[in-house]
Amino acid sequence: MNKDRFMLVMQREYLSIVAKKSFIISTLLAPVIMLALVAIPALLMTVNNSDSRLISIIDETGQYSDIFKDNDDYRFRIETDMTPENMKDRYKKADGDIYAIVVIPSDVEESKTINVYSEKPVKITLSRELEEPLNKSLSDAKIASYNLPELKDMIAQSDVEVKIRSHTWDEEGEKVSSSEIAMIVGLFLAFLTYMFVLMYGAMIMGSVVEDKTNRIVEVIVSTCRPMELMLGKIVSIALVGLTQILIWAVFLGIGLFVVSMFGIATSTPDIAAGMTAGTSMPEMPTSEVSDILQAVLGINWFRLLGIFILYFIGGYLLYAALFAGFGSAVDQQSDANQFTMPIMMIIILALVIGQACMENPDGTLGVIASLVPFTSPIVMMIRLPYDVPAWQILTSLLLLYGTALLFVFLASRIYRTGILMYGRKVSFKEIIRWIK
Amino acid sequence: MNIIEVKDVVKDYSGHRALDHVSLNVEEGTIYGLLGPNGAGKTSLIRILNQITRPDEGEVLLNGKPLAPSDVMHMGYLPEERGLYKKMKVLSHIVYLGRLKGMSKNDAHRAAMEWLERMDLAEWANKKVEALSKGMAQKVQFIATVVHNPKLLIFDEPFSGFDPVNTEQLKKEILRLNDNGSTILFSTHNMASVEEVCKEFTLINKSRAVLQGNVYDIRRRFKKNLFRVHVAEPVLAPDNALYSIVSLSPRLQSGCEATVKLNQGVSTRDAISNLNGNYTLLGFEELLPSMNEIFIETVTDSNEQR
Repeated sequence: MNKDRFMLVMQREYLSIVAKKSFIISTLLAPVIMLALVAIPALLMTVNNSDSRLISIIDETGQYSDIFKDNDDYRFRIETDMTPENMKDRYKKADGDIYAIVVIPSDVEESKTINVYSEKPVKITLSRELEEPLNKSLSDAKIASYNLPELKDMIAQSDVEVKIRSHTWDEEGEKVSSSEIAMIVGLFLAFLTYMFVLMYGAMIMGSVVEDKTNRIVEVIVSTCRPMELMLGKIVSIALVGLTQILIWAVFLGIGLFVVSMFGIATSTPDIAAGMTAGTSMPEMPTSEVSDILQAVLGINWFRLLGIFILYFIGGYLLYAALFAGFGSAVDQQSDANQFTMPIMMIIILALVIGQACMENPDGTLGVIASLVPFTSPIVMMIRLPYDVPAWQILTSLLLLYGTALLFVFLASRIYRTGILMYGRKVSFKEIIRWIK
Repeated sequence: MNIIEVKDVVKDYSGHRALDHVSLNVEEGTIYGLLGPNGAGKTSLIRILNQITRPDEGEVLLNGKPLAPSDVMHMGYLPEERGLYKKMKVLSHIVYLGRLKGMSKNDAHRAAMEWLERMDLAEWANKKVEALSKGMAQKVQFIATVVHNPKLLIFDEPFSGFDPVNTEQLKKEILRLNDNGSTILFSTHNMASVEEVCKEFTLINKSRAVLQGNVYDIRRRFKKNLFRVHVAEPVLAPDNALYSIVSLSPRLQSGCEATVKLNQGVSTRDAISNLNGNYTLLGFEELLPSMNEIFIETVTDSNEQR
C-alpha cells in the first residue's frame, strides 16, 4: 500500500460522488420527502375539515342529545321534527346532505343499543364517535342511579395500572433502568448499521461496476495496486455516507429548532395557564419524565457508543469487501443482482434475528448471532444496552475484525482478477477459483 | 543495454495458455513492435509488463532487475480498451493520473497544459470528458499516458480508432518521445507503421513468438529476389538466363515499368549491366516484402504447421 496513492484515489472517489448532481439532489430531497410524508396527511386532514358529515339524531329519551360534540369529521344535529317513521323520506329529501341518522330509543338504558340508518355502510370512525360519549353517559347515569355519592371516586381509584420501575446493581450502586429505553436505543443503533451497510454497500458495488464499464480500471491498476483502489473506494464511500448523514443531522437540527420556535410560540398560553394552575403537562406525570431521564442517564453512553463505533466500522468493512469483491465480477449493474441478493439476505436476516432477540437478549440465539461476524454488528447492538458480558463482546469483536480483514484480503484477490474480466457471466464457483 | 528482457514467460488462463515460453529483448531507446493476430497473446504479455498480472513461469527484467512495484512510476501504459472517468474535467483527469504516477500537483498541471496545447486541446481543458469526441478522448488518453515523461512507454494498439490525420500526428509524437529518450513498445495491426517506426519486432501467433528481430533484416530474409525495373523502351522482354517478368505496365510518357524476379544465382550487378546494355535503364530498385506480406505468410505458415 502506497499512502499517497491511496489518499489520491480516496479523494477522487469521494469528490466524484459528492459532486454528482444525483447525490446532491437526493441528499437535499430526502428530508423534503420525509417532511412531505409527515405533512401531507396532516394537510389532508385540514382539507377534509370543510366537508364534515352531517349526522341527524333522533333522541327518543330527550336526555342524550347534547353529549355528541362536533369535530373535524362529523357534525351532529338534533332533529326534533323527525321520527323513525318519516326519517327515510327526510333522508331521501335531503339528497345526500345527511350522512346518517342515529336513533336513540327510549329504552336505551336497558337495551344499551342505538340504531344507525344510512344508505351506505357508515365509517368505523362514526361508531367510535357515537360509542365513547354514550358509554360514558350511560355509565354515569348508572352510577348515579345507585345513589351513592362516593361511588364514582371509588370506581376511579379501583382502576389500577401498574408501572414497572426496574433497578440494576453495578459497582457504583443502584440505578434506574428501563427496558423500553434500552430496547429503543438498541434498535436504533442496529437499524443505523443496517441502513448504512445496505445503502452504501450497494454504492460501493455501483462504483466498482462503473469503473469497469468505463474501461478506466485498466489504466488505474497499471499504476495502483488493486488493493489501493478497492480500499480507496470503501473508505471514500464510508466518508460519503457520513457526509450525507451529517447533512441530514444538520437539517434535522434546523427543523427541530424551527418547529420548537413555532411550537412554543403557539402553545405558550397553554403552558402558562398550566403553570399558574400548578400542574405540569397533563399526559406525562413528573415521575414518569424523571424515570425516563434517569433511565437514559443510566445507560453507559460512553461504553455503548464506543462499542457501537467498533461494530459499525467492522460490519461496514466486512460487507463493503463483499460488495466490492462481487461487484468486480460483473460488467453491468443489471448483472449484479445475482450477487447482491445473497448479501442483502444476510443483512436482512441479521435484523430479523436482532428483533427476535429483543424478547430475550441473553438467549442462545442472541448469544450465537452476536458472535457470528455477519450478524454480530446488528444483533450485538440490540443486546448491548442490556449489559452483555465483556468476554462475549471481546470474542465477537475479534471474530468480526478477523473475518472482515480476511474478506478484505479475499475480495482484493477477486477484485484483481474480476476487474479485467469482461463479456461473460461469472458464477460463484469461478469466483472461488480466482481466490486461489 | 536492454531495458526489457522477457525470459521464457508462460501465462495460463483457466484452460487456455495465453503465452507459451515467450522471450524477447527490447533495447533501450528503440521503438519495438509487438505484432500478431487478435487473441495471439499480445495483451497478456503487455499486462505482465505492466504488472497488472504476473507470469506463471519465467521472468521479466527491467534494466536487468526483476520487475518491482515501484517501476510503474517510470512506465506509461495505454491499454487497447480506452477508458476515462466521463464526469471528470479533462485537465484534472490528466493531473490525477499524473499524480498517481508520483508527479507533484504543479508539475502534473504544467505538463498536462503543455501537452493539451501540443495536441490542440487546450480549449477543452476545463470541459468534461464526456463532452469530447471519440478522437479527442483518445488524444486525452494518450496525454494521460505520457504526461509523467516515462522512460518506458507501452501502447496497446495506439492507432486504433484514430483518423488518418490524427494517426500521423500520433506517429509524430511517438517519434518525438523516442527522440527524447523514451523506449517505446507497442502492439499494432498497422503494418505500415511498423516498417516506418520500429527498429525491431516480435510476431506472436497462437501464444508463441514465431518471428522476431530487426525489421530490415527480416525483410531481407524474406525477400523474393524481386526488383522494379524502369526502361525508356515501350516494352521489356523476358530473359530466361537472367530473369522472369512478374508484371509489366507500359507507361505512356516514359517507357515501361516491370516487376522482375531474378533467377537463382544471378547477381544484381549482372542484371543491371545486362539491362543497361539492351535498354535505356531509367530505374532499378530492389523490392523488399512488406511487413504485411511477412505477417500473413508467417501466420499462415505457423498455423499450417500445427
